[in-house]
Amino acid sequence: MIRLEHVSKTYKTLARPALDDVSVSVDKGEFVFLIGPSGSGKSTFLQLLLREEVPTRGRVIVADWNVAKLPRRRVPKLRQRVGCVFQDFRLLNNKTVFGNVAFALEVIGKPRHTIRKVVPEVLQLVGLEGKADRMPVELSGGEQQRVAIARAFVNRPLVLMCDEPTGNLDPDTSQDIMLLLERINRTGTTLVMATHDHSIVDSMRRRVVELSHGQVIRDDARGVYGVGR
Amino acid sequence: MRASFVSSEVVNGLRRNVSMTIAMILTTAVSLTLLGGGLIVVRKVDQAQESLRNAADVVVYMSEDVSANDPECANDPCAGIRSELERASGVESVRYLNRQEIFERATEEFSNQPQLRELVRPKALPAALWVELGDNVTPRAVKKQFEGRTGIGSINDQSQFVRSMVGKLNDVRDGTFLIAALQAFAALLLISNTIQLSAFNRRTETGIMRLVGASRWYTQLPFLLEAMVSGIIGSVAAIGLLMVLKEAFLDGLLKPLTEANLLTAVSYADVAFVAPILVLVASVISGLTGYLTLRLYVRI
Repeated sequence: MIRLEHVSKTYKTLARPALDDVSVSVDKGEFVFLIGPSGSGKSTFLQLLLREEVPTRGRVIVADWNVAKLPRRRVPKLRQRVGCVFQDFRLLNNKTVFGNVAFALEVIGKPRHTIRKVVPEVLQLVGLEGKADRMPVELSGGEQQRVAIARAFVNRPLVLMCDEPTGNLDPDTSQDIMLLLERINRTGTTLVMATHDHSIVDSMRRRVVELSHGQVIRDDARGVYGVGR
Repeated sequence: MRASFVSSEVVNGLRRNVSMTIAMILTTAVSLTLLGGGLIVVRKVDQAQESLRNAADVVVYMSEDVSANDPECANDPCAGIRSELERASGVESVRYLNRQEIFERATEEFSNQPQLRELVRPKALPAALWVELGDNVTPRAVKKQFEGRTGIGSINDQSQFVRSMVGKLNDVRDGTFLIAALQAFAALLLISNTIQLSAFNRRTETGIMRLVGASRWYTQLPFLLEAMVSGIIGSVAAIGLLMVLKEAFLDGLLKPLTEANLLTAVSYADVAFVAPILVLVASVISGLTGYLTLRLYVRI
């Protein structure tokens, strides 16, 4: 589903590369934690998958698309196949829960009857049934993140990328969010999650790819956050 | 493409940015009013040139003796001058108007000015030879050849007046267009600025749109439409302003010229003639400026 082949990414303003000859392959339906200290290259890794950035060297393949070679006009099609969730939720405060999730479908031109059918289904999946008419400010942090996940998942992407999705949440809420992401993963969606949260990585025992100074220093099939913990 | 979604985005964008939107509409309206004014002046100048072109190039006014005693131009010196004029190279036609005919013409010309018309008496007016020239001869040459002859009172080179009149109108037109161009430039900068501000205000929305796979076109369209809607509202306001200016200002200002039959009055038909041009210019310019701004300055 995802393949990085000898990928390097250098920014003009940085002396050393953000990613340095990284090769990683992720199968369909896998759940992968991407860990490493700040500045290790996790965000660049995710940005390359979304074609927010293009690699300086190497190939990035997502769902059979050669991302770096993708013509500009085809990039939206790639992004419809890759959902993303962020630490800061990025909800629209002037729209209801329903409106926020529907927005992701409206802007890609989905018909109204599809939106009316699909949005309540996904709100039920993320446990927000009955809160469709609430505004984001009326929700807790965990609920806001659920809305963000619903928005990222409503178009049934092949890959869901999560950049520190529990970074703003307390441990109990983080656990709930991880259960939700696990449920989504069980639907066959490939999940790549960048995180600093030791306890989550250690408790879930999923594949762990560790980055340091832009290089992959560890790739364990059922790993923990820190070796020897 | 969901029209209802795009239109609601446009309305929200205009509402959120209301002060800039109003500034953009007003600036566009003022520059288009000036442009419309310039176009109307061009139209009037064309009409005036056409009507003046149909008038005589040279008018040879006869002496008091000829005017009083030779109403048919049948005797010398009038008949001699007339036949010589007809034979002169470059002269297309010569028409004799006796005192009575000149009086009738003057009465018609002063129909809008009853006080002046009352003062005109047939005996105060000289008979005249109305001369139309071809392209290869100047009125000055004719004047030089016939000036001072017995039987001729004076020779009036009409083209000199036409040239000066058209020159003045062209100056007015050029000045109006210059101010319109400066205003249009200000309007372009305002449109560009408003779009940048609008895009900045909605960066969260556009960021999400980009991430969920909305096409560039879908993301940009509301901004483009905002600029075009403001431009079109500005052009409609400009048409209204032209009507108000016509009633309150232009009709009075041009009255002496229209009463002297030098210009036709500015009519609502003139405003209607420039109205679609203004709407078209506003749509194209604002759309184009919006598109270029989004491509150059705004990451969507």
